[in-house]
Amino acid sequence: MATERRAEVTWQGDLMSGSGTIDRVGSGAFGPLHVSWPARSEEQSGGKTSPEELIAAAHASCFSMALAHGLAQAGTPPERLATAAAVTFVPGTGITKIALEVRGTVPGLEEAGFREAAEGAKADCPVSKALAGVPEITLVVRLEDV
Amino acid sequence: MPRISRDASVSWTGSLSRGSGVVSAASSGAFELPVTLGSRIGEPEGKTSPEELLAAAHASCFVTSLAGESARAGGTVERLDVTCTVTMDEVEGKGHQIVASELEATCRVEGLDEDAFARAAEAADEGCPFSALLRASASVRVRAQLESS
Repeated sequence: MATERRAEVTWQGDLMSGSGTIDRVGSGAFGPLHVSWPARSEEQSGGKTSPEELIAAAHASCFSMALAHGLAQAGTPPERLATAAAVTFVPGTGITKIALEVRGTVPGLEEAGFREAAEGAKADCPVSKALAGVPEITLVVRLEDV
Repeated sequence: MPRISRDASVSWTGSLSRGSGVVSAASSGAFELPVTLGSRIGEPEGKTSPEELLAAAHASCFVTSLAGESARAGGTVERLDVTCTVTMDEVEGKGHQIVASELEATCRVEGLDEDAFARAAEAADEGCPFSALLRASASVRVRAQLESS
């Protein structure tokens, strides 16, 4: 069954001095969140989110769910997964890199098995597939002691 | 050009069906939100999901691009309203996939006629890096309408 998710954004003024707001999302989980070009294109976010940070959040959460699923199917459900995603944006070029890093606590699993499951999640999660055109997607994996 | 990095983190506890996660905007601190499988594929019940975050990303990416292109065409942006709907579906043989992202824009831009505005909207779609990425595997559709101010 298809699932639809929705977001609404408003922008006022020009690109450089104007600003936008993610007013609301279908779930009601967040908003309003402010966005602006300076906050997006400068090193410091100034406390504002950006399309790239939202993509990082989407990818990290999708990857985590796919990994939790893969581990459970293999008979070794995780106790805890901590995933970080860093999206690199070069203005004028686009999104050039996504770096995924996952630390997991998974009873009964060795490092190699964890790595294999994480590689599988990276290849197969829906957001990974949607972002397959990003030139470089890296994955660092660490299994922590139970 | 500078390389800008934006980070998010997720902490997930337990299995997929019974566990849950918290997704945080690590760079900006702008949000910290619960996610679960049930609220991703069923009723959202107040929780966000990867697809909703993508919809917010695509809408905000496109709106920035449209603000830039409208000005480049000689217009003055008063207000742009953009709604994005992202659809995930099960595709035979490929599992779950993001199959579509639809953008709907209602805009007040002074100094552009409908044709010039339509060209600006098209250029905005071409110039939005996220539209280009999604288009490789999903249908991306833009409907932009100019409102008289």
